[in-house]
Amino acid sequence: MSNNKKVNIFLLIIAVVLFIFLPRFLSGYWVRVITTIFMYAVIAQGMNIMSGYMGYLPFGNAMFFGIGAYVTAIGMSKGLPFLVVVPLAAIIAILFSILLGIPVLRLRGHYFAIATIGMSAAILSVVQNATEITGGAMGTTLPIIDKAPGITYNYFYLAMLGLMVITTLSLHFIIKSRFGFGIRSIKANEEAANSMGINTTYHKVVAWAISAFFTSIAGALYAYWMSFIAPDEVFDVMIAVNTIVIMLIGGAGSILGPIIGAFIIELFTEVAWSAFLEYHLAVLGIIIIIIVFFVPKGVTGTIGDFVKRRKLRVEKKVSI
Amino acid sequence: MGLQMLINAILLGGLYALMGIGFSLQWGISGIINLSYGAMVILGSYISLEFFNFFHIDPFISMIMSGAILFVIGAIIYRGLLQPFLKGGIVFTLILTFAVRLIVENIILKVWSADYRTIRLAYAGSNFQFGDAYVPLTKFLTFITAGIIIYLTYLFMMNTKTGKGIQAVALDKEGAQAVGMDVEKMYMINFALGTALAGLTGSLWASIYAFSPHLLGPIVGKVFVIAILGGLGNIWGAAAGGLLLGFAETAGASFLGSQWQEAIGMVIMVSVLLWRPYGLMGKKFFS
Repeated sequence: MSNNKKVNIFLLIIAVVLFIFLPRFLSGYWVRVITTIFMYAVIAQGMNIMSGYMGYLPFGNAMFFGIGAYVTAIGMSKGLPFLVVVPLAAIIAILFSILLGIPVLRLRGHYFAIATIGMSAAILSVVQNATEITGGAMGTTLPIIDKAPGITYNYFYLAMLGLMVITTLSLHFIIKSRFGFGIRSIKANEEAANSMGINTTYHKVVAWAISAFFTSIAGALYAYWMSFIAPDEVFDVMIAVNTIVIMLIGGAGSILGPIIGAFIIELFTEVAWSAFLEYHLAVLGIIIIIIVFFVPKGVTGTIGDFVKRRKLRVEKKVSI
Repeated sequence: MGLQMLINAILLGGLYALMGIGFSLQWGISGIINLSYGAMVILGSYISLEFFNFFHIDPFISMIMSGAILFVIGAIIYRGLLQPFLKGGIVFTLILTFAVRLIVENIILKVWSADYRTIRLAYAGSNFQFGDAYVPLTKFLTFITAGIIIYLTYLFMMNTKTGKGIQAVALDKEGAQAVGMDVEKMYMINFALGTALAGLTGSLWASIYAFSPHLLGPIVGKVFVIAILGGLGNIWGAAAGGLLLGFAETAGASFLGSQWQEAIGMVIMVSVLLWRPYGLMGKKFFS
């Protein structure tokens, strides 16, 4: 068992090192595509801890992405350096998640999902209408880094990769901790968890704050990377939808699922965009239906089932 | 001024009431949050547009056709897509109905483009005076028609065998199954009825407002608010919720500015969710 684990860790380190050196062999276009994949993997991990592990679906989670992006844009337009603005964005997103989470996380199932959509739409309206601060519906620009575009894109590639690795590792340790068992017990049965002495409100709010933390940092990086953001783009419901699809195909409630899902969906979307420009919405819709029908447990879940079945078969043979 | 605003609010609210009921029935009874609802409404508008362009049929008549077509579409979507995944939980039904929305949106964009369309009725300009306020004739007709359809839906639910069956299934699924009801069929009829109501709303919408695929998202936002205000699966609750949203939007637009319209609805919805999760008029049952 421990041997297996060592091999896994070794493989993961090799994968990370490969990704660090990958941009040298790729065109600028593909560097940008893979940076987007890393970004979606981070947001999908934020969805994963809430939905995959805790069983609460935050359909409006794009609001933290938007908050991160807008705090960065506003802070940098006031002259603050990026490294000061990012923690600020994360803190503000966490504050939002706690203030909104304490009342809203009392709701279950459908109602929670809908309430988060409502809050996301309300925040979007505020950002669109507070023109003096946010630049309004037309969007706002950020200072551009004074270097060649190829070099800055490599910086953002590495930054997103780093964020993805940190997010995944943190989530791995959080899920394995006492706290992680708490949130998983909420998914299994919230009443039972409560009566076993788990403070469910505390667990739910902290889990959402963790989700908000990583999502907002992804938003902050995105804003600086694009150097232009518009409200209906960073608060887009499609971000959440994409994220849910990514989580589903990768396998909800597995630590590598969101990364695998992000690669599959984003690469596929690239192909769909270039091959069926006029039909890319329908193609995405059909892909979603196919995924739900044929791999409802996601890639990791399906592989896991396969491995389990093989083990069972081998054990049977041995016992005979 | 005050009377005119009140009349505008009621006329808008009547359409909202009809729009909300289908969504509320689908959510409250079949247990499906139908994110493709906006697409179904607008599809109804385009069906009426085609009937008007080719056969010069009034939307108030062609709404029967769009209702029937969408009833069939709804039944197919439920049987083919949603029914196998009802047990999988909220993630699946949300994402599947969103996929349907994307496909329908793409078809609409391809066939009719993203431009705003209108149906120009011969009597669209006429209106009559009520006190010192003007009432546009088409909006008045829409309000009356919406009221009639809502009442017919209520009669269907209360007096027919199928309607009573749907109610029984909503109250107690196992109990209904035990006395020999085809539970899945009831769910399917209820879901298809919801999409049919969406299509009827779309036809009525087309007779007074412009429509385009841009409306898909905002309509879903509105029906969420209406359904939650009224309590899920509650016909009269949804009707009241629709009227209330009509008032809130009209009042909000004139006091705060129309750019806040959507935010007002959302803030109302979230506060109602927190304060009375089973709706303003709903019973505690569905929460």
